Amino acid sequence: MTNGKVIIALGLVVAAVLIQTTVFQHIRPFGYAPALGLLTVIALARLLEPEQALFVAFTGGFLQDIVGGAPLGLWASTFTIVAFITLKVRDREIAGTPVILLGVFGLTVIGQFTYAILGTLFGQGIINRPGFIGDLLVPALYNVVLAYPIFWLVKVTVRPPERSWAA
Amino acid sequence: MFPSGRRLDRSTALFVTLLAVGFLVATFDVRSSGDSFTTVIRGGAQTLVSPVQQGIDFLIRPVVGFVDGISNVAGLSDQNVRLEAEVRQLEQRLLETSALERRLAELEAINDLAPPEDLATVTARIYSAGASTFDQIRLVNRGSDDGIIVGQAVIDEDGLVGRVDLVTKTSARVRLITDPLVSVGVRVQDTNQTGVTTGRGDELLRLDMFDATQPVREGAVVLTDGSLFPPGIVVGFADETKSADVGFALRTTVDPSAAFSQLDFVKIVVGWSPLDADPEATDPLVNAPSFTDPGSERE
Repeated sequence: MTNGKVIIALGLVVAAVLIQTTVFQHIRPFGYAPALGLLTVIALARLLEPEQALFVAFTGGFLQDIVGGAPLGLWASTFTIVAFITLKVRDREIAGTPVILLGVFGLTVIGQFTYAILGTLFGQGIINRPGFIGDLLVPALYNVVLAYPIFWLVKVTVRPPERSWAA
Repeated sequence: MFPSGRRLDRSTALFVTLLAVGFLVATFDVRSSGDSFTTVIRGGAQTLVSPVQQGIDFLIRPVVGFVDGISNVAGLSDQNVRLEAEVRQLEQRLLETSALERRLAELEAINDLAPPEDLATVTARIYSAGASTFDQIRLVNRGSDDGIIVGQAVIDEDGLVGRVDLVTKTSARVRLITDPLVSVGVRVQDTNQTGVTTGRGDELLRLDMFDATQPVREGAVVLTDGSLFPPGIVVGFADETKSADVGFALRTTVDPSAAFSQLDFVKIVVGWSPLDADPEATDPLVNAPSFTDPGSERE
């Protein structure tokens, strides 16, 4: 069952990365696309065991590296860092939609910023780009919009609702 | 937070390990070139993933086209008015263009430039973009089976798009000229001065000229100089009028002619290699006086 969860989680991240590179090639409101891979990793890290979440995040990030244009390992490291931070804060969540949405926004910005720093360190010249702030903030806003559908999908797929005799 | 302290330690250890692996792989990928294991991994994974990506693209394309069509209907009336004004402007420009064409023919004759339409090309469809906002790449459905190799120029009807930087049997990755890693040797058409454009990661390119004896005027056509890409391909248009700041060094921006957000089909130039380039054609000292100062040529 545990391995099954990990495989399903990996499937979700793979699907997110593939949708990111195909569907959001065409659908880019105001020239930006959401960071769907990051959002899926955040959603998974809220539900999976810590080791599972880190493993899934690293593997998903590695796939995003492969289909992207940056050196291998940068998205893998970024996803792992975001998953780790999510694991650290997930049990401190104060119930309520605004807090969760703010969390998604913050984690996406952290993820994008981490990637930008790593990318710049590895010669990609990301941080000094004009419009860098927009590249950080707009995808994070889109992730906020997509947060609830993705959270719901991940919850339904990875952790089916527990059944009881009373239900 | 976690069920036990032991679990926290294990997850932290795993986190540090994965991070170290990520950094090691990234370092190796950056430092190695050619047929390293990272290139093999990318190629192999791309071969597996590209059919799925092409399938999703095949499914989503009609839906996107339908949505685009509906949104376009609403704007048709305004568009009609705008187009009528544009037609009037274009008629005016047509007169100027014929003069420019004569000038271009003269330039090509002087520099022995081959017009890009003479080059053998392979048409390819873009089926995937980069995985994030920071990626300036496109994946196309042509690969080594179609004669595509790394380094070939990619163009569309408007001008230079990028260059091929990864090839599998059935697909290739194109790095756009807007990527900071891509530099293009260029020539400003009206002054014949050479320079280098480098991507900035946004819509504009940075143009550096090191021996700019004349200003670059706004709207000047910037063409490839034939050093790494076939000569005479339009790269873009100077974004502003600019003179050399210090000595002969000039830095300005170029608006690329290709509309990267609307790319659907591109052509990969397979009939030209940088080895075909005439080394003298890229030497600004040889070419600059020939057009800008006819008197020196006579000497």
